[in-house]
Amino acid sequence: MLELLPPLNDHNLPWMDTIHPIVVHFVIAMALIAFVFDVIGVVWRKPPLFEVSFWNLLFATGAIFVAIIFGQVEAGLASPYGAARNILDIHTTIGWSLAGVLSLLSGWRYVLRSRDPETLPLSFLGAGSVVSALVLVQMVLGDKLIWTYGLHTVKVVAAMREGLI
Amino acid sequence: MLLALAYTPEQAPVEQIAPELGANGLPYSLPIHPNLVHLTIGLFVIAIAFDVVGALYPLEKRVFRFLALPITRGGFHDVGWYNLLVCCVVSFFTVAAGFYEMLTAVPLPGVTSTFGLGGMTTMLWHGVGGVLVLASIVGMTVWRGFQRFAWRRDMGRQVQWLYLGVGVVMFAVIGLHGTLGAQLAAEFGVHIAADQLLQAGADLHTALP
Repeated sequence: MLELLPPLNDHNLPWMDTIHPIVVHFVIAMALIAFVFDVIGVVWRKPPLFEVSFWNLLFATGAIFVAIIFGQVEAGLASPYGAARNILDIHTTIGWSLAGVLSLLSGWRYVLRSRDPETLPLSFLGAGSVVSALVLVQMVLGDKLIWTYGLHTVKVVAAMREGLI
Repeated sequence: MLLALAYTPEQAPVEQIAPELGANGLPYSLPIHPNLVHLTIGLFVIAIAFDVVGALYPLEKRVFRFLALPITRGGFHDVGWYNLLVCCVVSFFTVAAGFYEMLTAVPLPGVTSTFGLGGMTTMLWHGVGGVLVLASIVGMTVWRGFQRFAWRRDMGRQVQWLYLGVGVVMFAVIGLHGTLGAQLAAEFGVHIAADQLLQAGADLHTALP
């Protein structure tokens, strides 16, 4: 059975390079900017920005499921070591939670927009700030996996295959 | 090589501040540039994508009606404009952070990338390319502004087909450019603490937190 799986390259991946960090561009940028546009829209009374943040939020919600699919495959092939194991566990847990939270936020936003697209309650801004904070924490955890522990980098994969880590 | 270096300094410039840098070659634990890149790429791609959706509005409106999702064409073009505007502003910081972090970058020696380039060549392409991509984003933002506020102010389709075409070409350029950046990290180990420590012969189980 194992021979049916594609061979792994020097990044320990069946494809050229990690795809998860590419997909998360769209989750991070769209989720954060949706909150920023909501704040500007409320503070400066610019309702057209609510439409911009609605679509960005919707896109972030769709993108996070794609990010999770690639994230799970790449996490499974990452061979984390030391404290990276714990960080990867927390990153995975927050990732799945964020998918749920972003879906709920999008659903709430859909209802608000259907009722009155020109206004936004402060409670939604509060929820948006919590989700944005969660996205930032998730970014830091993902950053540590790459920039501190070097998961899926050629050097670390080579060391792993030599049994050095 | 057309020109050989006139002399090789005994000490590389980065050595002057080396004691202040961590194992990752930075005075802080995580690089800033790759995080700002999330914003630059995400905002640019979605800006163009929503202008495409706005431009193709006559084809899609039945789909959105089927989905019971109330939409306006102007709403899609608003996403195209505001996302690009923020992308334009943020990208100056993306490039600035990139240049700062490139000054202290030490690519692993003896590595050749998937593209067949060395570390320094990859950094030079990524650095010069980054400025050109920034210039293109600024140019496209100005172009988009003229379309929105002057040339196509009263038209349903707020953008020219040529603008969308250039946007799609930029997807490819940014994709290639981003791949160079990814190679600097994943292949050359730039600013990756684990890679740099392994190169120095350290044991990661004891050297990393």
